Amino acid sequence: MAKEVGKDRFGDFYIDGGKVRKRREWRGVADTLYDYSRWLGIMMTLGKFVMKPRNVKAMFRYRWMANYLAVPMMVDRHTQGLRGEYLRICHEEQDLVINDVAQLLDNLFRGDRRIGNDTEFSKKVVLVDENEMTAVMMGFPTLKCLSRETPSTYVSVLLNQHAAEHYIDVAQEFGLAGDVCPMPEAEAGVSIDDDAPVLGACAIQCNTTCDGSLLGNGVISRRLELEDGIPVFQLAAPLRHREDDVQEYAAQEIRNAIAFIEKHTGETWDWKAYFECARRVNYATRCRQEWLEMNRTPYPQVFGSNLALYTETNYMAICGRIPAFERADRRISKLAQQAYAKKKMAAKEYRHRAIIWGVQSHYYMDFLVWLLNCWGIVPLTDMLSMVSTRELVEEDTPENRETAIYDMAWLTENMIMRNRTHGGYKVLLDELWEFTEQFNADMVILWEHMSCKALTGMHGMFEERARELGVNLVWVTHDLFDPRIISRQGVRDQINNYMRTVMREEPLDPSLEVLHDEESW
Amino acid sequence: MTHTDKRLGGECDLKDLKHLIYFEKLLLEANNELVQRAKAEGDVCVAYTCENTPEPLLNLSGAFSARLRAPRTGSMEVATYYLTSFLCEYSRALLERAIEGGYSFADCIITPDGCSMMNRCVENMELLKTMGRDNPGFFWEYMEIPMKGDDNGLNLYVLQCKNHILKPLAEHYGVDVSDAAIRRAVAEHNRVCELIRAIGDYRKGPRPAITGYEFHILTLATYVCPKRLIIDRLEETLEELKTREPLAEDAYRARVVVVGSEVDDLDFIKLVEDSGAYVCADRFCYGSLPGRDPIPLTEDEDALTQICRRYMDRGGCPRYMDMPKMTGRRAYVAALAKEYGADGIIYEQMKFCDPWAYEKMLGAHILREDFGYPVLAVDRPYAIASSGQMRTRVQAFVESIEIKKLQKEGDANG
Repeated sequence: MAKEVGKDRFGDFYIDGGKVRKRREWRGVADTLYDYSRWLGIMMTLGKFVMKPRNVKAMFRYRWMANYLAVPMMVDRHTQGLRGEYLRICHEEQDLVINDVAQLLDNLFRGDRRIGNDTEFSKKVVLVDENEMTAVMMGFPTLKCLSRETPSTYVSVLLNQHAAEHYIDVAQEFGLAGDVCPMPEAEAGVSIDDDAPVLGACAIQCNTTCDGSLLGNGVISRRLELEDGIPVFQLAAPLRHREDDVQEYAAQEIRNAIAFIEKHTGETWDWKAYFECARRVNYATRCRQEWLEMNRTPYPQVFGSNLALYTETNYMAICGRIPAFERADRRISKLAQQAYAKKKMAAKEYRHRAIIWGVQSHYYMDFLVWLLNCWGIVPLTDMLSMVSTRELVEEDTPENRETAIYDMAWLTENMIMRNRTHGGYKVLLDELWEFTEQFNADMVILWEHMSCKALTGMHGMFEERARELGVNLVWVTHDLFDPRIISRQGVRDQINNYMRTVMREEPLDPSLEVLHDEESW
Repeated sequence: MTHTDKRLGGECDLKDLKHLIYFEKLLLEANNELVQRAKAEGDVCVAYTCENTPEPLLNLSGAFSARLRAPRTGSMEVATYYLTSFLCEYSRALLERAIEGGYSFADCIITPDGCSMMNRCVENMELLKTMGRDNPGFFWEYMEIPMKGDDNGLNLYVLQCKNHILKPLAEHYGVDVSDAAIRRAVAEHNRVCELIRAIGDYRKGPRPAITGYEFHILTLATYVCPKRLIIDRLEETLEELKTREPLAEDAYRARVVVVGSEVDDLDFIKLVEDSGAYVCADRFCYGSLPGRDPIPLTEDEDALTQICRRYMDRGGCPRYMDMPKMTGRRAYVAALAKEYGADGIIYEQMKFCDPWAYEKMLGAHILREDFGYPVLAVDRPYAIASSGQMRTRVQAFVESIEIKKLQKEGDANG
C-alpha cells in the first residue's frame, strides 16, 4: 500500500478468474478520502436511479441493464494508480459521463411504451444513433435527444467486457455474417432481439462511422418505422468530408433533418439556443486544444482513455447542449494547469511517448492505463480525440445563421472515428505522422480493429511509412466488442512481446504483465 | 454444331452460340483484345470499379470504360499484406493485379467511395504508384455519391460527375464533354443495354433459349470492353437466339434469381447451373438487372442530370440508406422473381462485404417471409472454382424447392 505514484504492484490487486479486484487502492489519506467520496457519489447516482420503480422494472425487462452493476468497477479501472490532480481530472470526466448516462437511462424508461409509457414525454423525444453527432439538436432546447444504442451496447461493453456477446450471437443466428464490425452488429442484435426501449416522436439516423453502421441502421429503422411506427430520417453525411464540393450536400442534409424534426415534434428551431450551444462547443474545443498543447510537452496532463471517452461524450453526444460539461471543462483545465505548473507525472517513469491511433478496443477501454503503469508508455493523444478544431460562429446574425448550417454539417461530417476512417488516406495515414512529429512521439500504438475495413485497408501503408520514418509501430489487434476473438490478455501480450523482443525492455510493473481477467467485468 | 449440356441437371441439346467462345476469351484478360484495339486506335481507357459510376460519361467520344476485374486470380498475398485478409477478395484481387502491372493499359481511374474496401483498394493502388508511371496525363479521381434517392442526392451526383469525371477527362485528354457528346454516348450505351435486355428476355418462360451462364458472359463483356466494338457481335447473337431451339422444360430442376454483391466470376453462375438451378435473372453488381437498363433522355433537361437521376433512382446498392430505397430493393427482387418465373432466390455475398452482409440477411428474411419465396443465403470467395461446399448448398436448395413443389401439388390434389 503506497501513497507515492508507482510504488504499488497493481497486478496483485487482481483475483484469478474473479469479476472484481481484491481491494481498493490506498492513495494516501487525502486522495483516498477524495476517491472514496466520489465512489459514494456514484453509488448515490445509482441509488437515485433504482429508487424509481420504472427503472427497477427496466432492470428486469432489458438484459443489458445488468451491466450497470459494474459502474463503480469501471471507474476504479480508469483511476488505477492516479493521484492528486490526475485522480481529480479522471473523476471529473468519468463521474459526469456516468451522471449523463444515468439521466439518459431514466429518460428512456420514462418514455418507453413498455415501462414508463409517459406519452407526453415521448412526444418530445428524438432518437439518435449511438455514434452520432447531435448538432442538429442544438436548436431544440425543449426536446430530448436520446440514444438507445449508447446504454444498450456502447456503455454496456465499457462496463462489462462480455456485454455484447449475446447480441452479436443473436445477429449471427439471424443470418448476419460474422466478419462485420461487432458494434453495429450488436446494435442490430438488440433490435432483432427487440431489446431496446420504444419511444419517441421520430428518429434521426446517420451513416456514422462505416459501411457497417450505415447498414446496421437499416435493421433498426425497419423495426422502428415499420413495426413501432416511429418515423425515421436518414441523415447522410458525406464521406469525403474534406472536399469543398460535398459541403452544400451536407448542409442541405442538416436543413432537411431540422425540417423533419420540426414536422414530427411540432417544435421550431431556436437560434438563440443554437448559438448558446455553439459558444459552449467552442469553449470545449479551446479546452481540448489547451490539453493537447500540454501533451506536446514532457508533462502531459489530460490524456489516455479518459480523454477519449470524455471527448467522445462531450464532442458528439453533448455538443454544447448541457452546461454541466462546460463547467467540467473549466475545472479540468484548472487542474491540468496546476499539475503542469508543478511538472507532475502520472507514473513514476515515462519511457516512451506514444500516439494511440486506430479504433480502440471497447472491451478494454482502460488498456491505456495499463500501458502507462506496466510499460511507462504515455498515451499522449488518440485518434478519437483528434477531431474538429474549427470555431463555430457564435453571434446571431442572418449571415451567421447560414454559416451555422455549414458548421453543423461540418461537425456531423467530422464525427469521432469517421473523421479519420473516411475522407481519404490523408486524414488517416498522412496526418498520423504529422501528429507523431508535433507531439514528439517515438512510438505509435496502432489499434487494429480487425473488422474495421477502412482501417485495416491501410495496414501495409502504415507499416511502410513507420519504417521510412523510424517510428516504433506496435500493432494491437482486437475485435472491438468481442473479447472471445482476442482476449484482454491477448491484447496485452501484443505489447508485452513487442517491448521484450523489439525494444528489449523490462516492465515498470511486472505484476501487470499477465493478468487473469478473462471473467472480469 | 450442337452440344449436350448437362449443366442444368437434365439432358438438353443447345446449339452453340457463334460468338460465345470469342466473348469467353475476352474475359480471360483485363487487357483484352478489344481494349488493346481501342487503345491502338487512340482512345483513352477510363478504368472504374463501382456500378455507381455513370458509365456513359466514361464512354464519351475518344474514351471508353473498362470496369476492372482480375480474371484467373491466384495468389493474393501481396495485396493481403497491404489490405489484410479482412477485406473482400475483390478488392484484394484488384490490388494484387494492379501491383503486378495488370492494369497498366488504363489512362485514369475514377472511383466513388461506394464502399470502404473499394476505396482503400484504389487508394493503395495510388500510393503504390501501380498505374500511370509512363503517362503524364494519368489521374486518380475519387467521387462522393449519394446515399439517398432525393433531390439533394441528385444535385450532389451531378456536381461530382462534373468535377471528377467530365472536368478531368476534358483537361487531361481533351475529351469533348458537351451535352451533345454525352447524348451520343448515351445512345451507344442504350444500344448495348437494349441488346442485352432483348437477349435476356430469352430467359423468360419455361423453355429459355439461353443459359444463365451464357448470358452472364455476354453481360460481363459489355462492362469490360469498349462498347462500340462489341455491338455487332451482340446483334448477331440476338439474331441467332431468335431461331435457336430452346431448352426442354425438364432441362432444369428450378429457376432462381441470383441477387447480391459483385460477381464477375464465370464459375459461380456455372456452378449454380451445374447444380440444377437455372439462373433466370441476375440482380447483382456486374449483372444486367438493373445495370443494363437503358437511359431514356428527353430534350427538356441536360443529359448529365438525367443520367445521374437514372443511376440514382435505379441504384440497388445497399449503401442507399433511406427507407424507400431499402424497401424498394427487396420489392424489386420480388418483382424480378415474378417476371422471370423464379422458383427461388439465391442471395449471395462476397465474404467480408459489409453492405451485402446486412442486405443478404434482411433480404433473405423479407423475401422468404413477406413474399413467400424460398431463399438460399450464401457467402462466397471472389473466384469460386468448383467449390464442393457451394455445390452441396445449391443442390440442397434445389431439392428443397422440388420438395415444396411436390407438397404443393399434393395439397392441391387433396
